[in-house]
Amino acid sequence: MITSVLNQISLFFIPGIITLVIFFGIFKKAPVYDLFIEGTKDGLKTAMEILPFIIAIFIGIEALVSSGAMQFLESLLGPVFQFFGIPKELISMVLLRPVSGSGSLVLVEKIISQYGPDSFIGRSASVMVGSCETIFYVLAVYFGATSVKNIRHAFSAGMVGYIVGIFASLLACMYI
Amino acid sequence: MMNYIWAGMLVLGVIFAIINGRLNEFSEGLMKSCTDGVYFIIGLAGIMGVWSGIMNIAKETGLIDLVAKATKPIIRFLFPLGLRKDTIAMILMSFTANLFGAGNSATVFSIKAMVMLDEENNRSEIASNAMCMFIAANMSMIQLVPITVVKIRSEAGSINSGSIIIPSILAGLLSMAASIMVCKLYEGKRI
Repeated sequence: MITSVLNQISLFFIPGIITLVIFFGIFKKAPVYDLFIEGTKDGLKTAMEILPFIIAIFIGIEALVSSGAMQFLESLLGPVFQFFGIPKELISMVLLRPVSGSGSLVLVEKIISQYGPDSFIGRSASVMVGSCETIFYVLAVYFGATSVKNIRHAFSAGMVGYIVGIFASLLACMYI
Repeated sequence: MMNYIWAGMLVLGVIFAIINGRLNEFSEGLMKSCTDGVYFIIGLAGIMGVWSGIMNIAKETGLIDLVAKATKPIIRFLFPLGLRKDTIAMILMSFTANLFGAGNSATVFSIKAMVMLDEENNRSEIASNAMCMFIAANMSMIQLVPITVVKIRSEAGSINSGSIIIPSILAGLLSMAASIMVCKLYEGKRI
């Protein structure tokens, strides 16, 4: 029930905002078309400006994944993670989620087909993807668009949030 | 800092590719991923154009001012030093797009918001409190329906593919609270 209600709200998000803005503009007798074009130009410029940062982060992540460095990191950190109560089936998820959105989606598919969507492992992996962000990727891309070199506590805030999210996911799947 | 991280990623990659005898996969992967990056931006550019256009209408017609006024309490809490109205609007759009799972649109709003925060910070090399808070809240923002995961689950034959929604929201809220708290703790400290 809740699912379908939330789903409906999500469906109306984009059309809702567009309708609101356009109607408000017409009501105010604003030249909506000209304003749209003007804004769009600006948006396209931003897209091109961030392209170099995207390419840089994409190849950086790919270098770690395709060379097998990530796998090595997994085997290295495995015992540490297990010590903290993270099941070994989920270690690759915990490590991949912060760097790659599409990669972790592929991984969650793999985990679900291996352990079953309604198993504890399958559910935990799903909740992790649903509640934890690709923090490294976000930090690199978002700050990449700015002139910032020193990101101060943004990293720790993201990291703490991520770790809390991982444990909260496991707990939530245990008790709900 | 990014210089070392990025160089480290690539150098580690090369070393491991040599050790594991995966130089071929490594090279192919790199070439494929930079093309992926360009495709990603091409896809994003259209969306970015549309939303920047729509937001420009909202800005020029004064709709943004209304929204900024309505959400003042939340904004005050997160950004006590105050921000320009159009920056606030962009931040709010980014939060709501994340909340409703409008993935690429959310990315677009977030990047725009960061660029605007950067301007307010006089394009300094040191991130402002507002930038850190925005990115922290944004990274941990909950998603009402993690639609992609729900879809993957139902395709895999889950008996209740939506059963992960409530746990996801709860875990997300906790993670968000933690991120925001870290920011609040650090805000007083100057470098």
